[in-house]
Amino acid sequence: MSFKKTENKRLGEEYYSLDHSSGLRMIVYPKKGFNSIYATMGTRFGSVYSHFVSGGRDIIVPDGTAHYLEHKLFESEDGDAFSKYAKTGASANAYTSFDQTCYLFSCTDNFEESLGILIDLIQSPYFTDETVAKEQGIISQEIKMYDDSPDWRVMMNLLQSMYHSHPINIDIAGTVETIAKITPQVLYDCYNSYYNLHNMVLVVVGGVDPEDVLRVVDEKIKPCAPVDTRVVFPDEPYGVVRSYTEQRLPVAVSQFELGFKERYPGDFASSRDLICTSMILSAFAGESSELYRRLYDEKLINSTFGTEYLEGPGYRAVLFSGESANSVLASEMMNDAVRKLHKNGISEEDLERARKVTYGKLVAGLDNNRSIASELVNGAFTGRELFESAEAVASVTAKDINKRISEQLDPDNCCLSVVKGIE
Amino acid sequence: MSDFSCRGICSGVNFASITDDRFKRGRLGATLIVPLSHETAAANALLSYVLTRSCKKYPDFTALNRKLDSLYGAALYPSVRQLGDCQALTVAVVGLDDRYALDEGSLSSELADLLCSIIFEPNMTDGLFSEEDVEQERRELIEGIDAEYNEKRAYSIKRCIEIMCKDELYSVGRVGSREEVEKVTREDVAHAWQSLLKNARVELTMLGNTAPDAAFDRFAGYFADKPRKPHLPRPENIVPGELKRVTETDDVVQSKLVMGLRYRIPETREDRMACSLMSVILGGTPSAKLFLNVREKQSLCYYCVSTVDNAKGIMLIDSGVETENIEKTEKAINEQIEIMKGGCITEDEFSAAKLALKNAYYSSLDSLAALQSYYISGVLYKDSMSPREAAALVDSISLERVLGACDTLRADTVYSLVGN
Repeated sequence: MSFKKTENKRLGEEYYSLDHSSGLRMIVYPKKGFNSIYATMGTRFGSVYSHFVSGGRDIIVPDGTAHYLEHKLFESEDGDAFSKYAKTGASANAYTSFDQTCYLFSCTDNFEESLGILIDLIQSPYFTDETVAKEQGIISQEIKMYDDSPDWRVMMNLLQSMYHSHPINIDIAGTVETIAKITPQVLYDCYNSYYNLHNMVLVVVGGVDPEDVLRVVDEKIKPCAPVDTRVVFPDEPYGVVRSYTEQRLPVAVSQFELGFKERYPGDFASSRDLICTSMILSAFAGESSELYRRLYDEKLINSTFGTEYLEGPGYRAVLFSGESANSVLASEMMNDAVRKLHKNGISEEDLERARKVTYGKLVAGLDNNRSIASELVNGAFTGRELFESAEAVASVTAKDINKRISEQLDPDNCCLSVVKGIE
Repeated sequence: MSDFSCRGICSGVNFASITDDRFKRGRLGATLIVPLSHETAAANALLSYVLTRSCKKYPDFTALNRKLDSLYGAALYPSVRQLGDCQALTVAVVGLDDRYALDEGSLSSELADLLCSIIFEPNMTDGLFSEEDVEQERRELIEGIDAEYNEKRAYSIKRCIEIMCKDELYSVGRVGSREEVEKVTREDVAHAWQSLLKNARVELTMLGNTAPDAAFDRFAGYFADKPRKPHLPRPENIVPGELKRVTETDDVVQSKLVMGLRYRIPETREDRMACSLMSVILGGTPSAKLFLNVREKQSLCYYCVSTVDNAKGIMLIDSGVETENIEKTEKAINEQIEIMKGGCITEDEFSAAKLALKNAYYSSLDSLAALQSYYISGVLYKDSMSPREAAALVDSISLERVLGACDTLRADTVYSLVGN
């Protein structure tokens, strides 16, 4: 087995990838001269994978299961992984998103031992009634912490108001009631269906040699046969559920999130599509844009204002978020601007400015091991190659941009979510 | 600091640089440090934000941002932080290194020019900043202060510090209070600008691939004939009296518990390191005493973490819990503190804490923002260290020294925010 090198001369960067005989996809991105190494092992399994068919069985799991499984995988029969990492000095963590679960560590010493711990923790599930029960209290407190977070609530309320039936409308951690239904069998069902090496990727970024990574993988990994698992998503109509949603929380500044739902074409967006969206959002709502200036002059936004593109299996949406004294008025102004955008497109001058900003951001991301790793994991699960983006920025044309605008930001298919103070 | 090359421009003005070709960007920062006071904190903070809104050359928010866009999305970062009883105001500019520009021209010299314009040639008319800039940034700062209440974990920590250090300079806070920000006049902001450039301790930092000489000359040209000897106060040791206990209520789902403790302010680099180790052992990692005993064994919480501010001699422990478990959690935390103070730190715990701390120091060498922040946090110490020196020092710290620090640990305040 040998690594395939992918390089970008303009950026002076390269990485190495390999489909390991065990089924695991490996990507190693050496950063010469860096002290730290960031390693992450991810599976294409997040909260939206709540209904699937695996080995001929139809399985529906309680809300919050993927996240619960992430917590419990840290425990194996011979102790918990955190105490093992404590002996190497690595800083370890994990996270569950809508569409993936990743286990990670960063270290500046004892890399090979830490990588061994990571591989072992993924491959040593150990769930008993007792260990599963123990986690209920801890995760209940995590859920309640998020219940008080206006950032989180404003987003989840938005997703619930945009999506009728796609499970992206369900909180990643579930609720205190749903997690009470999780049993060791539920966790094993998910583990066996999705923690198969053929569904996973190992990404290592930093001061590391690809051969050192391969040696540990060769030694530690237990090969497994592919498993036939297929996720089932309910049909999701194009339209949003409602155009406005509001929650009262003890906050002193109101927060909003305005989401424009898109048609899901059945596949992930290409690097070029994503770059077009970044450039559109930069030109349309970046700090130097007319829209930003108007909203700011009217005192309707502050520096927390930002944009995001949410994209995963079965969902695509452009999100605008921030704090505002009058979210409804801010949203109306944004909607008017969106209508004008569809009518007039983006000027040549704005496009060139957006090109420079987007290119600068992409290159800046290469200073950060974690952000490179996160892009590589996303790329492995979506078929996007990391350096395609930098080349796309250079070559995108006004025609590409205008075509992309026509596919997104439908002003008649959006929803405003607001979190306001308690009166 | 050995990783940094430091040069003095004049008394009270220093220039530190690291020339390193590993990074795709460069970071140039100017930090002005002054004593915290109720009279000036809000005006100083407001000034930092007003300065980065426009300047004489780009006299308007949009014009300045378009200039930043043309420099490949370069960014200006104003920030205000507290260093013990001092306020540190930083304006940094971050942008792509020359090697990665798609067109000709020196980005690095443009970034240095821009930072100098921002600091030395602000957008002033008749000696005052524009009303619009001041009012917009005042709104922004007040909304920022209000928003601290939105996130109840940060808010509870802030409340604990306010209660604990009520009559101390430390409780002025980084940007002053909402009321103080409301009262600042345009004249106050203009005065803050003049006074800071004349009297503040100045720390200039340049990190990245560009040779620092040109930027050094630019700053030296301005500061060389303006020496200053600011008196920067250091917090005094305070021994807590009777435990202060404050409980407030709000419409929250999860209650918050914040415990504030004091310890003797460490005077040497060895003692500072011992205090940091004390905190890591108690509640700094997922193998720390609080994580293992309060979270894992008793399932009381999702997080239970300790942090220390060595400049002030304060430790804060915070957790989010069920209202009915507040007392139980406080008891469980106190048990762990007592166990640690009683000398029960295993060899494994001690070596794990050392490894974790070394990992953090070495990791900071890979980030421009972390390097700059680390440098600024050490400038008030006479015996400050580079991250590499700090990592090397960790191993030499004895358990006795850590236990000596633990011995001085005293409970001061227990703050709870309880759901209605």
